[in-house]
Amino acid sequence: MLELRGLSKHFGGVKALDGLDLTVDEGDIFGLIGPNGSGKSTTINLICGVYGETAGTVHFRGNLMNGKPPHTRLRAGIARTFQNIRLFPNLTVWQNLWVAQNSSQDVSAHGFLPRWFGATRRTRKEIARLLELADLGHKGDELASNLAFGEQRRLEFARAAAARPKLLLLDEPAAGMSRQEIDNLGRRIRRMRDSGVTILLVEHVMELVMGVTEQIAVLNFGYKIAFGTPGEVQRDKAVQEAYLGTSASKSRPVDGSA
Amino acid sequence: MGDFWFEFVEITQTIGDGLLFGATYALIGIGFTLIFGAMGKLNMTYAAASLAGAYVGLAAFTLVNASALVVFLVSALASGLVGFIVYVACFRFIPIDNHLAALMASIGALFFIDEIIVHATDGSPLTFPAMFDDVMLELGSYGIRGDLLFVFAVCIAGTFGLLYVLYRSRLGLATRAVSQQDVAARLCGIDVHRTNAVTFVLAGLLGGIAGSMTAAAVGVLSPLITVPLTIKGLIVTVIGGLGSIPGAIAAGLLVGGLENVFLYFRGVNERDMYVLLLLFVFLIFRPHGIFGSAIDRD
Repeated sequence: MLELRGLSKHFGGVKALDGLDLTVDEGDIFGLIGPNGSGKSTTINLICGVYGETAGTVHFRGNLMNGKPPHTRLRAGIARTFQNIRLFPNLTVWQNLWVAQNSSQDVSAHGFLPRWFGATRRTRKEIARLLELADLGHKGDELASNLAFGEQRRLEFARAAAARPKLLLLDEPAAGMSRQEIDNLGRRIRRMRDSGVTILLVEHVMELVMGVTEQIAVLNFGYKIAFGTPGEVQRDKAVQEAYLGTSASKSRPVDGSA
Repeated sequence: MGDFWFEFVEITQTIGDGLLFGATYALIGIGFTLIFGAMGKLNMTYAAASLAGAYVGLAAFTLVNASALVVFLVSALASGLVGFIVYVACFRFIPIDNHLAALMASIGALFFIDEIIVHATDGSPLTFPAMFDDVMLELGSYGIRGDLLFVFAVCIAGTFGLLYVLYRSRLGLATRAVSQQDVAARLCGIDVHRTNAVTFVLAGLLGGIAGSMTAAAVGVLSPLITVPLTIKGLIVTVIGGLGSIPGAIAAGLLVGGLENVFLYFRGVNERDMYVLLLLFVFLIFRPHGIFGSAIDRD
């Protein structure tokens, strides 16, 4: 589904990412972890097209993505959430979802005449469903900036889902969340995958990563230092030294079952 | 007592006239602010492009004797087209974070448009068809000039049209999404370049209305109007708060009204001096403008 080959990004003399090879299979929940500055966010930004790569290739479903702008990649099926929430603050919750739903498809897909004003009934139904799934059913008319932190996170997740992606990139979705919210997030991620979306999860919260992912790649200083199942990665000496320390391996995995 | 009453009527009458004409300033201010809101950049050509549109409208009037409605429509369309050309020439290919380059490019385009106008008209003023300039509505001691009322009504209609597109259409939704969070907008599938181009065209359409209305109210089109109108537009934008449409409307009317007060008390030579003083008062005491806080967006 997603293939990165020799992917590199240099900022001046800094090698944020240096020759990363990675394959994510369809239907996976794939974890990407590593200490701060190890190149995780850079990887996400390269996959969705916010940055241009210094070297290497990004293939998505067999198509070369290099040089394609973000909106093209989104329409191809790559959506993402942001580490620091980036909602449209002065649009309502409902409109935030509408923007994503709207823009993710060609206007002509709605029929011969594009609908310039207002949403179609099908669109409304779809958005209502997304709001319900995100437990934001009663907040549709609220401005996004008025939502509580946890609600904003859920809205971001829903907005990414609104684009009907095939691959969803989650950039530290659990940051700042309570224990219970993280459990809920784990369930949402699973449910998303079960509906046919492949997930690439970048996360610091080990309980979440170890609980929901099936494959994990570990980055350090822009290199991949380990790859395997959560269990294998946790036992890896290089990983423990680089990142996990000893405490993380003791922590309880998140209950990801729906 | 009679003298005092007479003077009171005179002053309020002049303020009223100013408010009506201020609607054109509001429109120019909205155009500046719309593009600033979308791209965080000043499009210095805006007032010049608006007048260029009015010139094209005037050409339609002179060449094929088009009706007034057609003249205004042609003005709006032409100005929208100029807006698109300016976008491609001065903004599209300049990196988004290079504000100075875009600013300089658009100042260059401002003078270029001005030169074209001077060249095409030999620099001499041309008469612009006025509408309803022989109508005068009597309200007690007050008279409302028909042409100013018409200008005001058209500008208000233009503003509402824009607001409708901006707040009720998918296009407007995309525009606002880009201005609020451009990275996320891109990653929600919005083609930012296309949205920005649309914003320029929308602003241009509005500018064409403003340009032809200014010309209709003044009765002439002259290259000498370009720079003063640019400056008025910028003053209105700053007083209203960069990026705030309600601010631009309020500030346009405010500047229009006060301008006539200055005119009444200090004469035409000192009028613009006081308008600029007003700008400095705002920059010092309310630097974010009347409704401004849009600058502090993410």
